[in-house]
Amino acid sequence: MNPTATAEVRLAALTDPEVREEQGLEERTLTDTPWNLVVWNDPVNLMSYVSYVFRSYFGYSQKKADKLMMEVHRKGRSIVAHGGRERMEQHVVAMHGYGLWATVERAGAGGKGQHG
Amino acid sequence: MAKTFVPGSRGITGFLEEEERELLRKLFSDVITMLEPEALDSEDPLVALVGFDPHIAPPEDSALRRLLPDGVKDDDEAALEFRRFTERSLRESKIGALRAASLALESNEIQLDAAQARNFAMALNDVRLVVSDRLGIRTESDAEAVHAMQEWSDADDLETYLAVVYNFVSWLQESLVQALAYSLDDEPSPAGEKGEREDRA
Repeated sequence: MNPTATAEVRLAALTDPEVREEQGLEERTLTDTPWNLVVWNDPVNLMSYVSYVFRSYFGYSQKKADKLMMEVHRKGRSIVAHGGRERMEQHVVAMHGYGLWATVERAGAGGKGQHG
Repeated sequence: MAKTFVPGSRGITGFLEEEERELLRKLFSDVITMLEPEALDSEDPLVALVGFDPHIAPPEDSALRRLLPDGVKDDDEAALEFRRFTERSLRESKIGALRAASLALESNEIQLDAAQARNFAMALNDVRLVVSDRLGIRTESDAEAVHAMQEWSDADDLETYLAVVYNFVSWLQESLVQALAYSLDDEPSPAGEKGEREDRA
């Protein structure tokens, strides 16, 4: 069994659009616009740890994880994933759980990072 | 003296002296105290149940803000809305990892399975975020200045003591992450991967 299953199910429920609608909390218009998950540089997080998080959480190869980590380190930010808004918001919470600073943004809004 | 973590057939093993374990327990406990939501007894049970908190505000303490950062940049309203839905749950998952890490400190011989090792790495990272904030580490050069302070014998004031603590926890985390990365090398399907292929380029 995946050790993260319980926490992720709970997080999924919180960001699930149907759950929000049931609670009358969903005011946003869901569109097909893709969203980016951006991870930001900071002087604290270890480079090895950032790369480990990208590998273990996203299942990225070591090569891809290292490339994204170096982009965070050198350019200050990197687009680590993109897709539907709700999914990217779940990823943001997961990254914050690991202690990495991540944000969601509409694709094309910031545009400095290249998705690897 | 602590030893580096080593990956093996029974998980990841390490060794910590009693005083090092006591220090880590104290640090984990301090971070748990920071993360525990305020006014628990008077709160609306619905808030606790669904995790949605209409009265939430960004943390005033800068260290707590490192643990619970904004999920949207340059848009305070969107960031606050994000917090309403996610902060409670994030606090709870962090507290869970810190408690689990504390439980792994029962004896000098540290034995961690995959889930415990992950929790331990997350807990060490949260401690580093808090201590770095107290030390005023804002830039890479701040971090390098702190990195120079390695010896417990040099710790004659609070700031130097915190710097040595920070370096010890950093060393320990680096060692654990190396062992975790080594463990990932043999796994065809890494932990945490759940249908993320659509996110790959």
